[in-house]
This record gives sequence, structure tokens and C-alpha cells, in this order.
Amino acid sequence: MIEIIDYGLQMALITFCINASVLYMMRMGNRQKAWILLILTGTDYLLGDLYWTLFLIFYGETAPFSYIPYLSWYTCYIFLFLLVAEVRSERRERKFRPLLLIVPAFTGGMCIFFLQWGDVIGNTFTVVLRTLPMWQALDGLLAIRDGQEKKEKRFFFLAVMAFCLAEYGTDTASCFWMGDTIRNPYFWIDMVLAATFVVFPRALRKAVEQ
Amino acid sequence: MTVIENVFICITAPLLFSLLCMKRRERRMMVFLLSGMSMCLLSSYISSYLAMVQGADVVHASMEISPLVEEIMKFLPMIFFLMVFEPKKEDIPVNVMMIAVGFATFENICYLMRNGSGHLVNLAIRGFATGAMHVMCGYMVAMGLVHLWDRDWIRVAGTLSLMAVAISYHGIYNILVTQTGPAAVIGYCLPLATAGIAWAARKRFNRKYPRRTAAF
Repeated sequence: MIEIIDYGLQMALITFCINASVLYMMRMGNRQKAWILLILTGTDYLLGDLYWTLFLIFYGETAPFSYIPYLSWYTCYIFLFLLVAEVRSERRERKFRPLLLIVPAFTGGMCIFFLQWGDVIGNTFTVVLRTLPMWQALDGLLAIRDGQEKKEKRFFFLAVMAFCLAEYGTDTASCFWMGDTIRNPYFWIDMVLAATFVVFPRALRKAVEQ
Repeated sequence: MTVIENVFICITAPLLFSLLCMKRRERRMMVFLLSGMSMCLLSSYISSYLAMVQGADVVHASMEISPLVEEIMKFLPMIFFLMVFEPKKEDIPVNVMMIAVGFATFENICYLMRNGSGHLVNLAIRGFATGAMHVMCGYMVAMGLVHLWDRDWIRVAGTLSLMAVAISYHGIYNILVTQTGPAAVIGYCLPLATAGIAWAARKRFNRKYPRRTAAF
């Protein structure tokens, strides 16, 4: 039951994010592609959640061959990556920063850790897809530090990093599943993840405002 | 040979002959309609095979395997068209739409064959809902192809992601219409509501950007 409530709350917050993005897109009129990508990120995640929840409600179990929700959640990272790339599209100079290697080191390490429970293909797919937006977001933060990127984008890059880290948090918590109880950290981290969706429209607005 | 192949041949034979009498644009649209029907037949084979391999029953296969297979198969003729003929942007949406229409038509025929044609109201609701759902899924992917992705690698990644959105949407529709009562009603209304929203958004977009609407 608590899982259904958790997903219900998450879906409500993501719906808020989508609606806010639509409103901002219509009101602002510029950088429409960035707004559409945020709407698609939210919609993709929402559809994955909805599919999972409907299965729980109607059959009282998670989908036995759960390709569809996972596909939705995984491809959400592609939209997020395209969104970060779109937000960063104005930058003039591209340079490699060694500090960025923290991202693949972290995601690779987590992938090895998750291999104890999950399959190789799914984990490899996830590590690649999560590394891309995290890499871009961290690069953006470092570019702000070096004065090569607008300071207004910091909040957005931090939101992207928070979202990806919260995803890792939920995955780690689900490896040590403590049951359908409010004490299970999975549900708390999942709420943090949902909260990042609420932050996204505001952060994107700040990032793309002229 | 089972019945559905016979039906497929009966339906496609006159359409194939009609190709001889058509001009370029009309012929291409008819080819896409036919390919949509063919893809529907092929995806039923592939879904059945995958369901057998995975040990899934009919209900689980229709909710978890069919949406995945159908959306991928539906997009294959379009990929072929894009890669071989390199069409203009304006031609993409209508052709995607024709594939979706062909697919939905043949799926409705399959439904008729399995469940009979006794209940007109049920069939009409199902026909409209399934048609709208397939068209909306195709429209979603076509919109991305035409308007969103400007570089090749982005086009590949973006189209795959939009296909995932279409697959999930299709899966949710299948879950809902498999149920009875209010859930099924919501399921049938879902594609019609989405089509209504898309239509309203398109009208608004056309009014705001009259120059950029050639493709829609």
C-alpha cells in the first residue's frame, strides 16, 4: 500500500512539474526546445510510474516482465542529457576537466556494486545513461566556477545532479529492501527524487531566462 | 495457414492493385498503409513467439510484450523510408500517420475476428480508441523527427526516447482496456483525450507560428 501512495505522490509532483513547464513555455516564448525536453523528461518518468502503479493496483504485484517501465525510466536520462546539452548550447569553449572523471568513477563503481543483484545488460545501459547527464551537469558547474558559463545555470545543474544522485539512492536502498514500511529509506529517497522534479521548472526558467 | 493470413491477403490484394493506378504521392501513402497492416501481422507473430519464450499468458503478453514489439515494428518502415529515400520534413508526419492507420485498421480486424461483430457500440468505441492510440503514438515520434532533433546523433537518441514514451503510453492503454468497468472506460477515453489535447496544441502552435507549420 505504501508503495502505491509513494508512486501516487511522485506522479502528482511530476504532473506539477509538467504543467509548470507548459505554463512557463507558453509564457516565456524563448528556448522552447529546452521546455519541451523537460516536459518529455517528466512525461517519460510519469508514464513509467503510471504503468508500474497500475500493475500494482490491478494485479497486486509488480510487472513480471517489467521492460516497459524500466525502458521509460532509462530513456528519461536521454531526455535529461539532451536537456542539459540544450541548456549548455551557448557555451563558446569546450575543454576537458580532469575533475569530471569523478563521474564515470562513481557510476562505474556503483555499476559493479549493483551487479551483485542486477543483470549485466541493464546495469551497463543504466551506467552509460546516468553518466551522460551527470557529466554534462558537473561540467556545467565547473564551467561556472571558471567563469565560462552563466551563474544563473548553477541551480539547474545542481538539480540535475540531485536527481541522478537520488536515483542512485533509491537503487541502493532497493538493494537492501526493508519491506513496505514507512521506515524503509527507499520511500524517503524516492520523495527527494520527486521533489527534484518540482525544482526543475524553476531552475530551468532561471537558466534560460534572458 | 490460419484465418488471419487469409484475411490479410483478401484486404491487401485490392489495395496492391490500386497501387498501379495511383500517382507518386498517393502511391507512397498507400504503400505506407499496406506496410502498417503488414507490420501488424508480423508483430503478432513476434509477440506470440516472445510470449512463448518468456512463458507469458495472453493477458500479460498483451500488456507487457505487445506494446514494445508493436511500436518498434510500426517504426521499421519509417526508418527504411528515412534512410533510403531521405524525404522532405513535410512528408514525414503524414507517412508515419498512414503506417499507424494501417496498423490500427488491421488490429481492429484481428479483434473482430476474435470477438465477433455483434456489439456495434463496443466495436465503435474500441475502433476509435485503438485508432487514436496508434495515431497518437506515431504522431509523437513524427513530431520529434520533424521539429525537435537537429543533429543526427540527437535524432537517433531522441527518436529512441520518444519511442519509449510511445511504448509506455501504449502499455498503459493496454493495461486499462484489459480491465472492466471504470478502468476500461478511462482506457478508451485516454487516446481520445490525448488526441484532443494534441489537436488543440497544434491549433495554438499554427496560430502562433504560421510559417513553421508546413509539416503539420
